[in-house]
Amino acid sequence: MNPVLPLLQFSDATFPVGTFSFSNGLETASYEGLVHDAATLEQYTRSAALQAAYSDGVAALVAYRAALAGDYSTILEADSALLRFKMNDEARLMLCRMGKKLAELGVHLWGDDTLMGRWLADIKTYATPGCYPVAQGIAFAAAGIGERELYASHQYGVANMVVSAALRCVRVSHYDTQRILYNLARDTDAHYERARTMTLDSMHAFVPEMDILASLHEKGKMRMFMN
Amino acid sequence: MAHQRHYSDAPAVDFDSAPEMQPYLAQPDAMYVGCPGKHGYLNLGFEVNKEGRSILRELDRRAPLIVQQELYFDEELPDLPCVYILSSGGPNVDGDRYVQRFTMHRGSMAFISTGAATKLAEMRRNYSGMTQEFTLEADTYLEYMPEPVIPCRHTRFICDTRIVADPTATLFYSEIYMGGRKYYGTGETFAYDVLSVCSHAERPGGEQLFREKFIIDPARMPLRDIGMMGSYDVFANVIVLTPPDKAAAVYDSTEPFIDRDRHLAAGITHLPNGAGLLFKVLGLEPGPVKAVVRDFCSKVRLAVKHRPVPPEFPWR
Repeated sequence: MNPVLPLLQFSDATFPVGTFSFSNGLETASYEGLVHDAATLEQYTRSAALQAAYSDGVAALVAYRAALAGDYSTILEADSALLRFKMNDEARLMLCRMGKKLAELGVHLWGDDTLMGRWLADIKTYATPGCYPVAQGIAFAAAGIGERELYASHQYGVANMVVSAALRCVRVSHYDTQRILYNLARDTDAHYERARTMTLDSMHAFVPEMDILASLHEKGKMRMFMN
Repeated sequence: MAHQRHYSDAPAVDFDSAPEMQPYLAQPDAMYVGCPGKHGYLNLGFEVNKEGRSILRELDRRAPLIVQQELYFDEELPDLPCVYILSSGGPNVDGDRYVQRFTMHRGSMAFISTGAATKLAEMRRNYSGMTQEFTLEADTYLEYMPEPVIPCRHTRFICDTRIVADPTATLFYSEIYMGGRKYYGTGETFAYDVLSVCSHAERPGGEQLFREKFIIDPARMPLRDIGMMGSYDVFANVIVLTPPDKAAAVYDSTEPFIDRDRHLAAGITHLPNGAGLLFKVLGLEPGPVKAVVRDFCSKVRLAVKHRPVPPEFPWR
């Protein structure tokens, strides 16, 4: 199969892993008036992408390489390391819900008797958390998609989640959101060049204002999105 | 004597393999990396004495780090040994290496701070690195609340903090990072080269709890973007390791907020694996951020020791 086809499929905004339920903190940023137009949305989306670039993206690459090598223990290590790195409740909830969805979908695509099947069984018995970037690594390896494409798809997914949510809670147009996605795509290869040499221990992120917004959402009552 | 030598051997501090420090590995022009006076070592051990009072039983130090003796000045907890860490060298300079070890033996409690803000001087060749180890045995309580860190132009600083905590122990661990010498000359906010800060915790049996790492590289990051520092200049990070019932009490009594008038914001969430809480504060000036951190510490102390933190001394 031409690997571009599953790449398109797995990167599609309608890929059924529940992306539409999450806003990555945008709901609160909008309510607080921090994000109110295209320019502020672009800043916020860039922060979300940068936050993922050297954490979730690294875990996805480690899991992908482990899946190709049949190294299941490293997949488990990437999964638990990423969960230990996620410093808020709703971010952990998002990663685990989407990860499990993709694992379930993967079993339908490739069957139970696969790496994905084994991983899903471990998620169901709480032996591993089931983080989404790790699921992406396993899925992309199974579909024969390249590593650089995995990373690009992952980063695109983060940005697309935020701008898609923005269409429901920020006064921006489809033209604005598509321009933001296109602009941010320019950064992705540079992020990949750094992320591809990183280890799980070197994952890092710095988005304190997003963390505070996430906390306001966690203790607040707004629930258009789950985070 | 052999025992004494063991204590005086300052462990090596080497971050030369960290990718973020790769541009900064040349020897300083002045005193070489880790030479006497630039390899600070501190080993503090608190325990409960026969009278049931927490005391500073172990104290070993190597210049430029100084700790003299514990003092009992906390009016709300008169039996709380309080220790200030001082540095005879003034700021951290190019090629400095520091090791700080704190051990809370069973049942003990303590308060640790610094005598003044930690200044990180301008650096030209190398970096300043520090490793910290916190070991908390059963039923211990430690408030670690140092004054803010002030990075100057071209500062490079890396810190690794390892925490080993019994499930019954409580650690309040705060760090406050200023953007720089905001009012020096034409201003130095975010003029430093890199801050790399990693804190990770585990149980005595080795179970890993969490690992938080942030690297701030102002030249390469859009720090003023919404979601990062935005319009704020000061950032505080507070880790609270405490049993779940105490964590629930603190979480319930702490409201996150964004105060536009005071330009101050704070958020709270749970650490992974039921380890405790994480509290973050953003502000424009250190004073209000310190006050929010101290107020939060008071909530932790109320939940664990049933007493508040007394008002800060007016000269602090």
